[in-house]
Amino acid sequence: MSHPVESGARRELGSPEAILRHDASVFDLRLRRDAAAGEVPDWEALCDRAAAVKAHGLDHLDRYLEEFERRATEAGAVVHWASDAAAFCATVGDLLEEHAVERVAKSKSMLTEECGLNPHLEERGIVVVDTDLGERIVQLEAEPPSHIIVPAIHRSRQEIGELFHRRMGTPRGETDPERLTRAARRDLRTRFLSAQAGITGVNFAVAETGSLVVVTNEGNADLGMSLPPLHIACLGIEKLIPRLDDLPTFLRLLARSATGQPISAYTSVVTGPRPGGELHIVLVDNGRSALLGDAAHRSALRCIRCGACLNTCPVYRRAGGHAYPGPIPGPIGSVLGPAMHEKGASLPHASTLCGSCTAVCPVRIDLHDQLLAWRREGSPPRGFEALLARLAGFVMARPRLYRMAGALARVVWPALRVRFPGNPAHGWLAARELPRHPGASFSARWARERGAGE
Amino acid sequence: MSDREAILQRVRGAVRHEVDHPGAHPAPSLAGGFERFATRLRGVGGEAHGPVPSWQVGEVVTGVVNLRAEGGRVFAAESASEVLGPGVWVVPPADLAPIGFEDVAVAILRGTIGVAENGAVALEGRHAPQRSLPFLCRHLILLLPSTGIHPDLHSAQAALPADALDHHHLTWISGPSKTADIEQTLVYGAHGPLTLDLIAYTPA
Amino acid sequence: MPEPLDVGLFVPCYVDQLAPEVGLATACVLERAGCRVHYDAGQTCCGQPFLNMGATAAGTRLAQRHLDIFQKYETIVCPSGSCTATVRRRYPEFGVGADEAGHAQRARTFELGEFLVRRLERTGLGARFPHRVAVLSSCHGLRDLGLGSASENLGTRERSPTEVLLGEVEGLSLVPSLRDECCGFGGSFAVRLPEVSARMGRARLREWADAGAEYVTGTDVSCLLHLEGIRQREGSGPEAIHLAEILARTEDR
Repeated sequence: MSHPVESGARRELGSPEAILRHDASVFDLRLRRDAAAGEVPDWEALCDRAAAVKAHGLDHLDRYLEEFERRATEAGAVVHWASDAAAFCATVGDLLEEHAVERVAKSKSMLTEECGLNPHLEERGIVVVDTDLGERIVQLEAEPPSHIIVPAIHRSRQEIGELFHRRMGTPRGETDPERLTRAARRDLRTRFLSAQAGITGVNFAVAETGSLVVVTNEGNADLGMSLPPLHIACLGIEKLIPRLDDLPTFLRLLARSATGQPISAYTSVVTGPRPGGELHIVLVDNGRSALLGDAAHRSALRCIRCGACLNTCPVYRRAGGHAYPGPIPGPIGSVLGPAMHEKGASLPHASTLCGSCTAVCPVRIDLHDQLLAWRREGSPPRGFEALLARLAGFVMARPRLYRMAGALARVVWPALRVRFPGNPAHGWLAARELPRHPGASFSARWARERGAGE
Repeated sequence: MSDREAILQRVRGAVRHEVDHPGAHPAPSLAGGFERFATRLRGVGGEAHGPVPSWQVGEVVTGVVNLRAEGGRVFAAESASEVLGPGVWVVPPADLAPIGFEDVAVAILRGTIGVAENGAVALEGRHAPQRSLPFLCRHLILLLPSTGIHPDLHSAQAALPADALDHHHLTWISGPSKTADIEQTLVYGAHGPLTLDLIAYTPA
Repeated sequence: MPEPLDVGLFVPCYVDQLAPEVGLATACVLERAGCRVHYDAGQTCCGQPFLNMGATAAGTRLAQRHLDIFQKYETIVCPSGSCTATVRRRYPEFGVGADEAGHAQRARTFELGEFLVRRLERTGLGARFPHRVAVLSSCHGLRDLGLGSASENLGTRERSPTEVLLGEVEGLSLVPSLRDECCGFGGSFAVRLPEVSARMGRARLREWADAGAEYVTGTDVSCLLHLEGIRQREGSGPEAIHLAEILARTEDR
């Protein structure tokens, strides 16, 4: 059975052209990040600081959660708590029903993807419109986002043009990004104006002031927060930062790491409901507290969802986000996967451990070391594979056996180079030729040419 | 047990209270000033004008409005009209519903602090009680005292008044609304304003 | 003549079995650089594939065995960045070689190019290889051992020992790489996700072929075998050759 990311890559990013386009678009973000980070003289110190603030915040999360709740409540917000995805969906659904809401304008939130909020609300008869352009595209395509910052990065302008033609009535063959964006703006504007509630994600929550920090480039979250009277903000408990003073550190890193912008177009610090409105904040655990208790893997909770590790990851760029099971693709998704969802156990193997993710992470998550650690603990070889590993380990620890195995390999090697059903080298042969066997091993030639070894 | 108690109990069991807060990040020594700010703002798709003496702000804004409005409605938030001085500025009616700004062509608002490293301007809730106005309008004009420009975001945030968060929202605005969700092609005006003009003025 | 330096040759298992000429070339280059080369025929595998697969018990046993065998050498040199990185950086994560003696031994384990350039400070070794050559910066050497500057790292750029050594080879012209990303080998990754692995490898080969490279070289036989296998399957692209083989060449092919 092939690895889910392998079969996903074949399914979702099938043609050489699609792979090239996806790779080029995503790598462009990496290059923008390099340029933007390179302009900041205190970049490395800033990353150290951000990592340290997050590490402290997570290690005192109980205090900061209570402080945040107190401050947000004082400011007039209503704070809800949800242990898991089901509780989260029920909380939001109930709130909307209590307010007789039928139409919701939603802005980007990976948490709602993680918890399956949209399908839940739709089942309850509530119309949810994703308002981030990329999110809207994937919503209309009835597919999940393939990137945490650029949800429709796997789609070509032709595909989007065809989609908008069908769903928004743009002229057939219209593929100009500006005109397509205008069409989406007009379409979504009417939906904003008729929405009865806005649901937003949260980038940071400040314990000291009870504030929510919501970052977008499009301004869609701000429209969602300012037009309908009801605002529901959803956040994982790991989003808390201790002080307002910590915020600039993260804001200076976030957009530069994500898209190479010095800051996103809109960064709103929202404290309490707006006059005449209601603000409900839902704090979600859904596995985070368990990860918090796992000292070896806690660092993954520092993530600020900038996407830099996806952009630099050569596996992600060649596989596409949809290849990854679970809500978050790429290195951080593969680090969170084993802890957060049942399909994630094999994800740590979808990496060459090249380490580029670790190098770009602005909050110093040791991503590739985490992947290796999960392989060690979470998904060691099982069954036949485990037996083979034990056998190979036994052989490798005994030079004479090792040499006999080498001699045997030399005999069967020509057969291994041919593709046939059940060939143990099929994984190698699936993509490449097996080289000719050189004949004698190094140790044999050394003994022959230089006399016996030591 | 409520979800609240359950979560807090699990979190309490998971934390150690051992890792200290590292303290505030020291503000870097970056170049400040209007020129650097203006360059940055252009880089994020905005346009910076000035700095002009405060008595000239109305005139400069009128020029920008004439360029952008195309006969549409123009609103100047009350806080902005104080800076603009006498003129024909229309202040939005207090009882207008948030969706009432839907067809506004140009909105003029007052910012307090600018950030040279990223072209962002702080729009405080007290100066923008009509929260939807700067997002529904097609063109946004921000007024900013040139003395309010700081080199980096740390010093900029520190320069905000102590009660800056007391009026529901504080928004850092850096250029017009934008998206690159279709094949990484940058398009301005995804949802919010298509343009952003910033008029810097030297306070009287 | 200064006293020759004694060097213990650390030959990775796949070099031993599949690329003996790389091991021999390594010995030849080390001798030309004035070293006395010792080879302990009891060595098998440093444990890397097992550790990376999650087969920890077998991996740690082999790791300990590796340290025991090489303990006697003052200097240990290996024609592989990833095996060197496993010994130097990964062992302690698995509780192997974490004590003072282990630390010292791991610190005196070098990748070939690193040893020549940084330890011996010998860059010109009289090699001649009149070809256009691209360099694969294998990831474990690049990031775990710090051999050169990875493109995503900010600040000043440093040439890798491989590039420094190739710069001194007569007739050789270096083909610059647009990217320094992973070739897609990744050990068990190559067989678990062969299509994704090959997409990565094909992209690298295409880039170098477009730039006119005849050969691609690097410090890791494993990555090179993967690239060479793809080249043979696709029928085009630069031929893979290990750094030691280029450095050992003294006359035209």
